[in-house]
Amino acid sequence: MALRGGHAAAAAGVSSGSEDDDEEAGFSRSYFLAKEKEPSSGKKRARAAGKLSDLNLVDEQVLRASLAEIPPKHEREVEALTRSYKEQYRNWLFELRCGFGLLMYGFGSKKMLLEDFASTTLSDFTVIVVNGYLPSINLKQVIVTVAEIFWEQTKLKRKRQTATRSQLQPFASQSIDDIISFLNNQTSDNGDDNVCLLIHNIDGPALRDAESQQYLAQVSCCPQVHVVASVDHVNAPLLWDKKMVHTQFKWSWYHVPTFAPYKVEGVFYPLILASGGHAQTMKTALVVLQSLTPNAQSMHFSSLYTKCRERFLVSSQVTLNSHLTEFKDHDLVKIRKHSDGQDCLHIPLVSDALEKLLQELT
Amino acid sequence: MAAPPGEAPLTAATNIEPFYVLHKGGAAASSSSSSAPSLPSSGRARRRIDVSGPASPNPKPGKRSRDDDAAEDDDDDELYERLRLDAFHRVWSKIQSTINEVLRGISLKLFDQVLRWVQESFSAVRSIARPSAAEVRQPYPLLTDVICRKIPTAFVLTKNAEFVDDITTFRDLAEYVESNGCHLAKLSATELSEKNGVGCCFRSLLRQLLSDVPDVADIFALASWYSAAENYDQPIVIVIDDLEQCSGDVLGELVMMLSEWVIKIPIFFVMGIATTLDAPRKLLSSEALQRLEPCKLTLGSPSDRMNALVEAILVKPCAGFCISHEVAVFLRNYFFKHDGTITSFISALKLACSKHFSVEPLSFLCMGMLEEDRENFWHDKFNALPQELRKYASGLPSCTREKDSTKSGDNMVDGLSELMNIQKDWSSVLLCLYEAGKHGKVQLLDIFCEAVNPDLHTQKAPNLPNEKSGTSRRFIDQVMDTIRYLPVETLFCLLEVWSIHLNGMDKITNKVTELQSTTISTDSVRITKDKWPRRSTNSTGNSTVALNDKVAMLLDDVTRKFLVSVECLPFHEIVCFKNALIGNPRRMVQLDLVKSHKHLKCSCCRKNGIAVSASMHDTSIMCNLAQEYGDVINLHDWYISFDGIINSVHSKIKRKPHTSPSKKKSKPVAAESEAMIQAVTELQITGLLRMPSKRRPDLVQRIAFGL
Repeated sequence: MALRGGHAAAAAGVSSGSEDDDEEAGFSRSYFLAKEKEPSSGKKRARAAGKLSDLNLVDEQVLRASLAEIPPKHEREVEALTRSYKEQYRNWLFELRCGFGLLMYGFGSKKMLLEDFASTTLSDFTVIVVNGYLPSINLKQVIVTVAEIFWEQTKLKRKRQTATRSQLQPFASQSIDDIISFLNNQTSDNGDDNVCLLIHNIDGPALRDAESQQYLAQVSCCPQVHVVASVDHVNAPLLWDKKMVHTQFKWSWYHVPTFAPYKVEGVFYPLILASGGHAQTMKTALVVLQSLTPNAQSMHFSSLYTKCRERFLVSSQVTLNSHLTEFKDHDLVKIRKHSDGQDCLHIPLVSDALEKLLQELT
Repeated sequence: MAAPPGEAPLTAATNIEPFYVLHKGGAAASSSSSSAPSLPSSGRARRRIDVSGPASPNPKPGKRSRDDDAAEDDDDDELYERLRLDAFHRVWSKIQSTINEVLRGISLKLFDQVLRWVQESFSAVRSIARPSAAEVRQPYPLLTDVICRKIPTAFVLTKNAEFVDDITTFRDLAEYVESNGCHLAKLSATELSEKNGVGCCFRSLLRQLLSDVPDVADIFALASWYSAAENYDQPIVIVIDDLEQCSGDVLGELVMMLSEWVIKIPIFFVMGIATTLDAPRKLLSSEALQRLEPCKLTLGSPSDRMNALVEAILVKPCAGFCISHEVAVFLRNYFFKHDGTITSFISALKLACSKHFSVEPLSFLCMGMLEEDRENFWHDKFNALPQELRKYASGLPSCTREKDSTKSGDNMVDGLSELMNIQKDWSSVLLCLYEAGKHGKVQLLDIFCEAVNPDLHTQKAPNLPNEKSGTSRRFIDQVMDTIRYLPVETLFCLLEVWSIHLNGMDKITNKVTELQSTTISTDSVRITKDKWPRRSTNSTGNSTVALNDKVAMLLDDVTRKFLVSVECLPFHEIVCFKNALIGNPRRMVQLDLVKSHKHLKCSCCRKNGIAVSASMHDTSIMCNLAQEYGDVINLHDWYISFDGIINSVHSKIKRKPHTSPSKKKSKPVAAESEAMIQAVTELQITGLLRMPSKRRPDLVQRIAFGL
């Protein structure tokens, strides 16, 4: 341990040199460091270094449940810290009205903070909360919702002024570009019809692609749309080019560390120290099996070629192999060389999981 | 954050719903009721919520009168907030229009060149052949030499750090060309991409030129449109602003197609090049290149534009808003060392402006600078101020040092007028410095940063052997040196420009005139005229050099007298912004974690001087421990050391281990491991860590290093 500490301190010393080169230097250095620690290069070292298996690993679901019950530290201080930002709410609103987007960063979940800000201070705005940390987000639906809100507002206004009504193609069937150009044409004489997009984790996994960010940038510079967003990833600014930052999002940065636990944000990240995760594998297995062709689905796992032939499932070894390759690719079947030299197939699922799987399949 | 009392607890659905409407805005909500309530009432309702917040200074609603007072205060707050918002919009729109004017003014030279080139090219094309309208419509091109198949193309070298600065330039250029009677179309890099192909960009071309686009978008549609009498006498200019980003194949194809028709349909290209003139050669095939008749034009350099902008918006009091030394230095470093684009400079300035109006309660008084009768405006505003703001005004740190007057109203108005006058002199002197500095290639932003330095004023005494003065006057001293070596004619011109800048500062203008007259009267002018190059290097005791010294001394004198930083003046807080501006998550998030106690302000951590203690935030402990590792961290070791810290002898806070319902017969899982798992997940969310790969499940990778 002491030895490794010294070694690491040296590495850290090197890395603190220049900030910008870190990424690149980090990658190249990590390669050599990793090589050094490769078990094959020094068996002794590998044994000296601790193995995960030395620890008692717990099933993932169990772990998730108990994670929710971790007693919080510094609860009072965290609360006071978050409360201290309340004083800035009026300033945030001011900048929002000046035409800037608010971007909150700093360690800790900012979900509660932002929603508190929105519900207390942004009451003049229609606020749409987007949970960017979810992997299932569909940006088009969000944009459609924004457009529908504007559409409703104009409809209401027209009702009050004149009785004319015009029909419009439903937004969901239009392209995003068309909807954005609709949003761009929304102008209002009073500043009341504003929509605020509150995006938790604008750097979230489902929004991390260039296309989503481009659309978000375009939406954010529509005349009646305002954006309040949070980022957690340290490299989040790399998502945007200068045009997006300065002419579209127009971010006003706020450093608001809250130290609040990332409870919901963390749900979709894989857990470390979770033992294999039977439940996880089972779920994926179920998905894979259900998406297979009926022929492949009806294959019994323990059967061999002959058994399959008896049942007229496959006619040749080639077809069986092609099915097996599919399973192998998805880690449903593993092949071991038996001592007598023959290939031995097995399913890397525990019996509990298998039983449950079969139950759910039937 | 624990939900404040009274707030509806967040249900789980709001966490797992991809998106949802939190609430409808004022207009939408009120319109659902039959009679739409007026704005203020909805504003009041909002304020009630605000009041309940613990940060609000208002006491709990107890007696009615107190409640009313509070409501009145709130009304005042709202009124002044609206005033400040209006002031921001007015001030910024003034600054923005100044910026546009300046940038347009600089580009105008280029625009003229482009227009002249278009006109020349057009007459050249027409001199080769002048097809009739019917000929233009014929479905085959005119048969002429290869020479007549060349499209005149202007390559505009932009020299900018990034394309973002050129967006407005090319937009203005397009407007200018169009307003001068050319047909205009713009093609962007996205249209000229592989994905869209030449068909799409041709369609876009037609959409911009023709009022209604036929289903078959081909060159004949364009030809028949062009042959119409009202279109025939003008050339068509196609602006492509970012050549390097276009697909060479698609552009090549377009060039080949249009070049066949150039005699019939005179289309010319204007292409923006960000790098070097090699760019088209790299991008286009030689065949396509041969079809272009190039002409090279150059845009002014970014530093020229920067100097002009700084002069117009920061040095000359254009809208009454100014920035402190700290902000100026930040902006300069950001521009020269980090970013290099005018766009980000402007957006940072805008942010500074909005923050100023947001934070400074009296900032709405800036608007007075835009009024005809400033003093009257300030008088009116001051008289209407509520007691609280008045007290605030007299308590501004900049005026507490000279607070002796009882008539505080006049005091503030006078103070602001005085500030304006001093600022005017300041900017005149600064411009004189810059005029001289131009000959020594000094940037205005550099001198500006020195001129707003409040330390400059405190080190008034000349030749003070002070280390600090050396650094704070670096560029100003450089300007003085430049003057000492200027040839007489230049010096003479310089004095002339000075007398224009110093208009209104009589004493100094007199001195300048005096110097001017000596320049003219001395015969040395004639003598030095041709001898200057040698003179400047060797002689010292000569009359010309003495003159140079005199001019330098005058400037030095004036500088020390009038170059008073705005931060040294009373009431400067009203017009001057003083905070920092930009976010740096990479550094700050790591700092948050390494120094968590600074934010949490707890009493338990760091009291024994131990770097990492058990009471610290779990993620913070893990992050601190990770600092001791290299790029990869052995999970097992990391866990053990985490465990060691949590259970160390210093630690008094022990978490009770709780048995996990794990089926394994192993020891119960300690709470520490859960805390660690949570911490690792949080590090993952912040992007400081990458999960172990399948091949090496025991190691996690650190991603960000160095603060």
